Amino acid sequence: MVMMVGDGSSHHAGDEDHSVQALWVAMAKLEQGFEKRFEAFAQEMRQSIAAIGHVLMVNQRGYQAERVSERSKFIRNRKKVEMDFDAPLDFENEDKLVNRPVVNKKRKKVIGLDDLLTDHYKQKSKLIEKEKKRAKASKNYNSDEDENEKEALLSNIVNSCQNQMQDISGEEEISDWGLQVFGNQKTPPPLDFPQLGSCKLLQSFLNNEVNSLVELTAENGETFLEGLLINGWLSKLVITRGHVEKSTATWTFNLILYSSKEELRASACDFWCAILSSKDKIDALPTKIDWFPSYSELNSALSIYGFSANFSTTAESLNTNSGYREPQNLIGWIKFTAACCQARSKKSIFLTKEAEELVEVVTCLFLDRRFLALSVLLSECILSVINYFTDQEWNTSCQKIARSLACRVPRDLNCLRTVDCIAGVNNRTKHLRSAVAYQILLVCFNNEATREEEILNLLINIKVKDKNCDLFRMYIYLVLTENWLLSCPNLEEKPVINEMWGVYLRSCSCQISSTDMRPYASKVRNKASYLLLGTTSK
Amino acid sequence: MEKANHKRSNRTGIEENILAILESTEAKDTRDTNDDRIAFIEAVRAASFIPENGTAPTYKMHEAVFNNLRVGKSLELIMSSYQLLIELNKRFPRVHVSKSSSTDSHELIIFNEDWLPFDLSSETVCSERQAAGGNPIRPLDYSGFTLLIQELDEVVNGTNFQAIDTKYLRNMLLLQYLVNVLEGDLLPRKIVYEETSNWNLLRESLLNMLLGSRRINYKVLMKDCLSFFSGLCKVHAGINNDHGCSENSVTKPSEDCYPALAFALLDAEKSTCVAIQKLLTMIMELDKSKKNADMLGHTTRADGVRTPLMEIIVDALNYERDIVSPFLQNVLQVFSEPIWKLEIIVQYFSKYITKVRTRRSNGPTDDATFDGILKYFSNSINLKNFLKKISTEIVQLLLAHAFQAHLLISSQYIEGDVDSKENVGNSSLVQICKDIICTLKSLSAIDENTEILPIAKEALFAAATILAMNNS
Repeated sequence: MVMMVGDGSSHHAGDEDHSVQALWVAMAKLEQGFEKRFEAFAQEMRQSIAAIGHVLMVNQRGYQAERVSERSKFIRNRKKVEMDFDAPLDFENEDKLVNRPVVNKKRKKVIGLDDLLTDHYKQKSKLIEKEKKRAKASKNYNSDEDENEKEALLSNIVNSCQNQMQDISGEEEISDWGLQVFGNQKTPPPLDFPQLGSCKLLQSFLNNEVNSLVELTAENGETFLEGLLINGWLSKLVITRGHVEKSTATWTFNLILYSSKEELRASACDFWCAILSSKDKIDALPTKIDWFPSYSELNSALSIYGFSANFSTTAESLNTNSGYREPQNLIGWIKFTAACCQARSKKSIFLTKEAEELVEVVTCLFLDRRFLALSVLLSECILSVINYFTDQEWNTSCQKIARSLACRVPRDLNCLRTVDCIAGVNNRTKHLRSAVAYQILLVCFNNEATREEEILNLLINIKVKDKNCDLFRMYIYLVLTENWLLSCPNLEEKPVINEMWGVYLRSCSCQISSTDMRPYASKVRNKASYLLLGTTSK
Repeated sequence: MEKANHKRSNRTGIEENILAILESTEAKDTRDTNDDRIAFIEAVRAASFIPENGTAPTYKMHEAVFNNLRVGKSLELIMSSYQLLIELNKRFPRVHVSKSSSTDSHELIIFNEDWLPFDLSSETVCSERQAAGGNPIRPLDYSGFTLLIQELDEVVNGTNFQAIDTKYLRNMLLLQYLVNVLEGDLLPRKIVYEETSNWNLLRESLLNMLLGSRRINYKVLMKDCLSFFSGLCKVHAGINNDHGCSENSVTKPSEDCYPALAFALLDAEKSTCVAIQKLLTMIMELDKSKKNADMLGHTTRADGVRTPLMEIIVDALNYERDIVSPFLQNVLQVFSEPIWKLEIIVQYFSKYITKVRTRRSNGPTDDATFDGILKYFSNSINLKNFLKKISTEIVQLLLAHAFQAHLLISSQYIEGDVDSKENVGNSSLVQICKDIICTLKSLSAIDENTEILPIAKEALFAAATILAMNNS
């Protein structure tokens, strides 16, 4: 069996090579064609210009042509310079906002041609003026109609060239995943706590004889508490005392969510994590926390940061929205939410329904590329929320979350990202990952299918050889089905599903030839043959 | 005690299949290449975690994932390979402890065949080995670890302003991962060592081999670590001065910098701080075990001599005695592991107290503990003499931090987390609180112009509150 698999994969690897080579050849051809078209266009331009300016003196015409070629050289050089300039910022390859290199560069070329055109018009109008002055009395070759005709001809050429370029670049336009989940921020609530100075912790100290050195008054109470918080005394004191007063709790909670000072929000977050995770002393009363936050408070903080659950704003609109800043308190929000979930043995802070919503919200945060570097934090958070449920709750909640997420996420690469961010490291996350993939599949087929076999039937019936078959969609279906079936809990009981899956994979891997140049053809083919090897070697 | 082979191998089929995903990738970083690499990471994840009896990735697969973290350009690739590596470490530890059912003792199980991020072969044979994916990347050797810390230090301490980019983040993640590996290797060995006193277990730990390697300069490495640690703290200290934004911090990203990165750097720096602290703590613990083994005669000449990290730190603190120097404050502020923090401060104090004692023979006898030092200071003549050596600000700062560490240890002690009471001494928390108040009071009594630092005021407040609580 092992031998067979080994052979299979090396065969696969060889094929891979061929298809890549074929791809490269095709790319090179495309590029050559492109260059040729560009050259042809430049030639055409030169001719047109020559035709327009045929009455001019020879040296002027020569100058004009020279300018054209110089100009086109400049455009090419500029392209090179730009590429070099881009090179050190290697992360830009990743950046959705900066990245659309193919499109951009081509667009720049087009702009270059437009420049060329306006340039030319300027030159031409000057020349025409001169010509008119010079040849006032003589017979006029350059009638206005004549000019207009030539103009129309020129703009036709430019237009057709532009269209061709768009055709060439059109197939690479499938955008990567990424949504903008935060829009315009609202004004945060004011952060003043008049009752803070009167908390028992400070009050009881005011008459202490040591206060002659400390100089604590009711007025500087908040500043002093800030010091206690930042230097880490506060959590140690309240844990030693075994009591967290309401005023301290609400104050620190609001600092996490709304403070603009990094140090305060980080210390406040550490404070809550400490008191929530503190194990109760064996020989003393458990730490009493007078006040706990509620889900609605966490939720309203998100909406103040500008969170919009329906993703009405796409990543494209971000460029224009230059005044945008990442919600700085989000990191604290994520850590705090995770800590609240981990403390269920102490206090059930969220209702089941609220925890379900939290899973969805955190999943949505994964879909914004600006939080990509927070993915470790987000993974820990989503795991904590998932572990918050009791076993009974989880069975129904998992399905609910999956259905709701499936309706929320767009059915492009974002839905694959949604599945990927649920990192099947334990049974619950595996369960959820499979359920989410399945529900998205159902939505993809507009709920035409209701049973598992029906879905696979629909998939098998897609004709991949058909020219109109959308292979990008096919790729999405393939990955979703993979994730659904990989960790599907009771698959062993349904051998027919596995068989249908095999049929589907074979149709994807065998019916798409390695020379198929359609976008995503090679991706679907490679993925399917990879999965096929995986299922046969089981 | 050690097993060389285990069930995890013999899956060449899956390995070839998964590695084939990477085969088509070129050295160029196109979107397709990037997609393929991410697909590879996801495939390894799926193969290792999703099946009921998931198996660890093979040597080559593991290596390829690691190389994606080392040379990856895209943030997505870096993050996903880092996460996968950490999860693999957790799920499939190379070294772990199993409790034998018959006796109550622990047994160490080491999978020597498993992949490691470090190249253990002393002489390079790496030219033969090629990383999957076509581009040969040399495996990381110990000197690579030194280089990594040096590079990070240069960024944080401002000699390399241009480097705030994905590479900086990648290096921080790389360091966190390596510390994670070192920790995963050391902790199980320590558990068994404490039962068996078998120094060989610790001698063969990755950390001990790293520190003893001839390819690195141990002292320079430690100095770089401390400098990087202090630099990271400085970044955070800078943030609290200007109101919250990273505008004035050293690692201010340029305006056109990738926004996701700028946003996440703060958090990444914080977790790197934690990782460095973990590394320092592990080294100090290893030093301590080595000292014990030395005394029991378990070490040999092959073990070599190395300056304990504690001495290096205390020397560094000594050297930077100026209160305005951020080093002291930074290290104290951020170094939060209480036992070693207290130990560092106690060592620092006793260094001066010992000097006093050598001149006069009536010094304190139990000066190596915190309560011993407080007792020594309760004599105002001692304190006055001591202030000639060290400024009152430093004494206040050190006392406050030591008290805080003590407070944390004692609360953990009650909770049963820590069973070590050696640095604390025998005094009760109440006694320590009294002594702290007394010492700080006499500090201000010695010189009327002495200003009590905010942190010392907070220590006074904490001590008085705890006393009042116990009296009521």
